[in-house]
Amino acid sequence: MKRISINPITRLEGHGKIEIFLDADGNVANTYFQVPELRGFEQFCVGRRAEEMPVITNRICGVCPEAHHMASVKALDRLFGVEPPPAARKIRELLYMAFFVTDHATHFYALGGPDFIVGPDAPPAERNILGVVRKVGLDVGKQVIECRARNHSIIRMLGGRPIHPVAGLPGGWSKPLTEAERQTAEEAARRNIEFALFSLRLFDTIVLQNPAYVEMVHSDTYCHRTYYMGTVDERNRLNLFDGRIRVVGPDGHEFATYHPADYQAHVAERVEPWTYLKFPYLKQVGWKGFCDGPESGVYCATPLSRLNVSDSLATPLAQEQFERFYEALGSKKIDRRFTPVHHRMATHWARLIEMLYAAEHMLELATDPEITSPRVRNLPQAVAGRGVGSVEAPRGTLIHDYSADSNAILRQVNLIVGTTNNHAAISMSIRKAAEQLIRAGRIVEEGLLNRLEMAFRLYDPCLSCATHSLPGAMPLVVDIRNHSGEYIRSIRREG
Amino acid sequence: METIIVGIGNPVLADDGVGLKVLDRLEERLRGRPGVALTRVCCGGIHLMEAMAGYERAVIIDAITGGGGAPGTLYTFGPDDFSQTRNVCSSHDASLLVALELGDAVGLPLPGDVRIWAVETEDVSTYSEVLTPAVERAVPVVVERVLGDLDSGQPRASRRTTE
Repeated sequence: MKRISINPITRLEGHGKIEIFLDADGNVANTYFQVPELRGFEQFCVGRRAEEMPVITNRICGVCPEAHHMASVKALDRLFGVEPPPAARKIRELLYMAFFVTDHATHFYALGGPDFIVGPDAPPAERNILGVVRKVGLDVGKQVIECRARNHSIIRMLGGRPIHPVAGLPGGWSKPLTEAERQTAEEAARRNIEFALFSLRLFDTIVLQNPAYVEMVHSDTYCHRTYYMGTVDERNRLNLFDGRIRVVGPDGHEFATYHPADYQAHVAERVEPWTYLKFPYLKQVGWKGFCDGPESGVYCATPLSRLNVSDSLATPLAQEQFERFYEALGSKKIDRRFTPVHHRMATHWARLIEMLYAAEHMLELATDPEITSPRVRNLPQAVAGRGVGSVEAPRGTLIHDYSADSNAILRQVNLIVGTTNNHAAISMSIRKAAEQLIRAGRIVEEGLLNRLEMAFRLYDPCLSCATHSLPGAMPLVVDIRNHSGEYIRSIRREG
Repeated sequence: METIIVGIGNPVLADDGVGLKVLDRLEERLRGRPGVALTRVCCGGIHLMEAMAGYERAVIIDAITGGGGAPGTLYTFGPDDFSQTRNVCSSHDASLLVALELGDAVGLPLPGDVRIWAVETEDVSTYSEVLTPAVERAVPVVVERVLGDLDSGQPRASRRTTE
């Protein structure tokens, strides 16, 4: 059996790795996506005071600390049996929308965009945010940096610290919003809407009006007919911050809807011998391996999934884009909802629509008279024993599940991070991409690395939510080995 | 010369947080010193670049894996070696070099002088707020080296001289 390994090069040994095994005919037999194990998170947390968790868990990840902070604070609300006042809920959500805008914008311009704007076969040295700036103009670069700056400043203003918020407390928020701060947030939200609309127009011009890219979006390479997961409100509209978790089947019918605290009745985790990653799947469908279709419990939780589970979006401009998205991709309506889009490359487009939704919702929150109420905290009175909190992180549904004793000392901690939901789907996308590039022993070296990377870049995986060096902006090596495991050749790309 | 000292890493992932531990010590030693600011960042790439904007000189302290030396070994890097330390790149946006070029392109006032200090790690895969002994022993050594380097005020090759 021939074996191909894709590794970050030696000095980064121990991070992400893709291995491709070929059968005797030289076709792809299997692909394995591996990351190193990070040990001891449970032990690290157990025995601590529960209220430390919003600050500890937001240290797990340098990219989405806001998501961990919010899921954690919401779990503590439940653990301490205390409902935050309306203003506190709205301040939390306002911060979260600012975070969503900046995270989605950064992903699109720095990671997803380059494949479309610079081109999937452009030299790696050009296929980055600088390449985007060279192609569409310096102003875009300025806008991305400004977008990050204004939203980070909102996060700092509301959260008490840049990037890693500290203001979330069980039962509320540590400080109310002043009128001057509200105005700053309102102004930022308006500019976010403009930037989201600008980005969607750019996507329209560069991608949708280019037949080659439209073909790439529609290509079978990155198409999987799986189940989809996302959070919706009481009217089955997308909600990034709160609501019920909804799952739809590959044909678009609702499969399940449940309170996040009931996640264990719906999601089970598969363990494979070749990786430390766990593969969650839908318990009531069952694990049938790395395959799609209604019989396979594999599901996906991404921006695309969230649109697929939503009947509509709650803000007007995003709703227009939502309809355009499904109509352009040939979706029909059943049960008042568009049938799912299965083309994973459309995730990049879905991300921009979510960015617009988050920006519009940020404006709604910033102009809500209740948000400046001084009442932002209800004091916890007792410990309920267990608390589950969830949000939609940019990379998928995030769940924090804590159990504590009567002194609020943690006894058990379980986290399902956004990316984890997508492990099976990511593995499937990598495999499909590899199958297109390697046939009967013929290996298409040209673009191999990038085509494989594109398969997982669209999910923007944040593995173990703590490893920092994955293939992506990183140097990569593909090692190709013969049946005996000897090197045949090596394809190398410096970062 | 306005200097920013950046500690980078994950504070709950054992030796990955060495840059932050060094920063804690430097903060005590440099308290009140004019022209020097200190900051902690959790991820590299564009975010790290943004943290350096507005300064003439940047000193980055990070962890490294696979640098070749024993745990606790200290290395210094210049602009050409940015991808070698653990946290200066972000797989979610860009390498530090690309991020710096982007910053230059959009007109951010970035330091011309960027130096990275990196400490070889032993364990970066266990959740812990404690460094391994060899890396812990390196912390005061790094602190003295960084302080000495700051004081020497030696001008270094500018980041932009290669352009």
